[in-house]
Amino acid sequence: MRETYSVPLPKMGLAELTGRLIVIEGTDGVGRSTQIKLLRPWLEQQGHAVLDTGIKRSQLAARGIQQAKEGHTLGRITLSLFYATDFADRLENEIIPALRAGFVVLTDRYIYSLMARAIVRGLDPGWIHSVHSFALKPDATFYLRIGVDDLIPRVVFSTGFDYWESGMDLYPSEDMYESFRRYQTALLAQFDAMAKEYDFTVIDASSEIRTVFERLRTGILRVLKGEPREPLFEVPASEPPLADSSPSEATGAGKAKRPAAEKPTGNLEEPA
Amino acid sequence: MKRYGEHRFPGKLFVVEGIDGSGKSTQLMLLDQWLHGEGYGVIFSEWNSSPLVRDTTRRGKKKQMLTPATFSLLHATDFADRMEHNILPLLKAGAVVLCDRYIYTAFARDVVRGMDRKWVRELYSFAVKPTAAFYFRVPLEVAMKRILVGRSGVKFYEAGMDLGLHEDPEQSFHIFQGKILEEYESMITEFDLTTVDATLPIEEQQAQMRQIVKAKLAQAKRLRVAP
Repeated sequence: MRETYSVPLPKMGLAELTGRLIVIEGTDGVGRSTQIKLLRPWLEQQGHAVLDTGIKRSQLAARGIQQAKEGHTLGRITLSLFYATDFADRLENEIIPALRAGFVVLTDRYIYSLMARAIVRGLDPGWIHSVHSFALKPDATFYLRIGVDDLIPRVVFSTGFDYWESGMDLYPSEDMYESFRRYQTALLAQFDAMAKEYDFTVIDASSEIRTVFERLRTGILRVLKGEPREPLFEVPASEPPLADSSPSEATGAGKAKRPAAEKPTGNLEEPA
Repeated sequence: MKRYGEHRFPGKLFVVEGIDGSGKSTQLMLLDQWLHGEGYGVIFSEWNSSPLVRDTTRRGKKKQMLTPATFSLLHATDFADRMEHNILPLLKAGAVVLCDRYIYTAFARDVVRGMDRKWVRELYSFAVKPTAAFYFRVPLEVAMKRILVGRSGVKFYEAGMDLGLHEDPEQSFHIFQGKILEEYESMITEFDLTTVDATLPIEEQQAQMRQIVKAKLAQAKRLRVAP
């Protein structure tokens, strides 16, 4: 039977959720939405009904989050909880009904991105895990993994550097390139740590779109047939980019490296 | 990120809790008047008042699209915004902060709505522990009489109509408040709430409150506003 990470929500009806929940995770600009655009018609051709959803698309909170992010007074705890609200709304009003109806649910990011962002911003990992502990355990999480050096050219030539994706709230004194680099490096370290903890299937996203798509198809077919999944490749034990992921002069960000053991000492102050 | 516990800020935080009709807001208003008169820098922070979250909450309530989970998380978001940008900086600056409802309101309501007791407490663990939390204890029937007289219709979520307790809003409100009262009662020892008998004359309750607040303020340096 389907499970959540901890306590279920009222009226979740776990036993009836017969569909498949498939998560595509990975950092900003890694190609998640491109892949989902390819996966959806492919799944539909196979005869599966598909729901695709993603962060900040809830009826309830999407507009509010957008407005809040345009201001300059959004605290880190507030931001995390606003996103958790958005997630809960989509979980209860989109994901669960679709799973009950036997759909394949493809979600562009899941609680892992939300937790990674919060931890990188210095929030207590134990707290942020607990906040999201009502989430359903997915049938599979495909982590599109990329190094910062491969990521940067993609971002530069597609959307450009975005304020939040560059963690400008964390590293305001840096130029956008520098802060993007540091922020994304810290995020990648979080994702790598979670890959083991949450049993992600890791896919090398620096490959061609077509190659990534084929790997995803193979993995998803395995999930749909109910076969055991295997990681497509191991996360290397020590990745060189992680070395510069502890910007000691910026409070909070250096905490990214060790999610579990972190004993937060700061308080609610904004990062220096 | 500091977890729920004693703070060492120069300011002081006093909160009032209790079911609707317990008279807590009246008591807080009287305390506010007195503190102003004594020359303290006093700031009010009301439950569910963050401008950042207001539109979302309003829409969710109006369209009745809130579930126990989103109701809980949205109120926590609202509280977090007030905590990060209002309550905490004020306490650091040495103000006396008065809150009409605090995290205990969320604990009571969310648990009655079916959220896990431990989960909700963990959710709000970023909150600062109040200098004193006054719980206005009142029998359900007394509170109901105070409220339903002269009030035109209880709102959907206020009455707990989302729980399907009763078709009649007034009946539903009654049952809902009764369950909230039980939750409050169980929190008295858990959170060391200062209980005030809310059936006593208003003046008497206020005198008790001022005595306790005065003792707490005496321990701190004088936080008076400049004349």
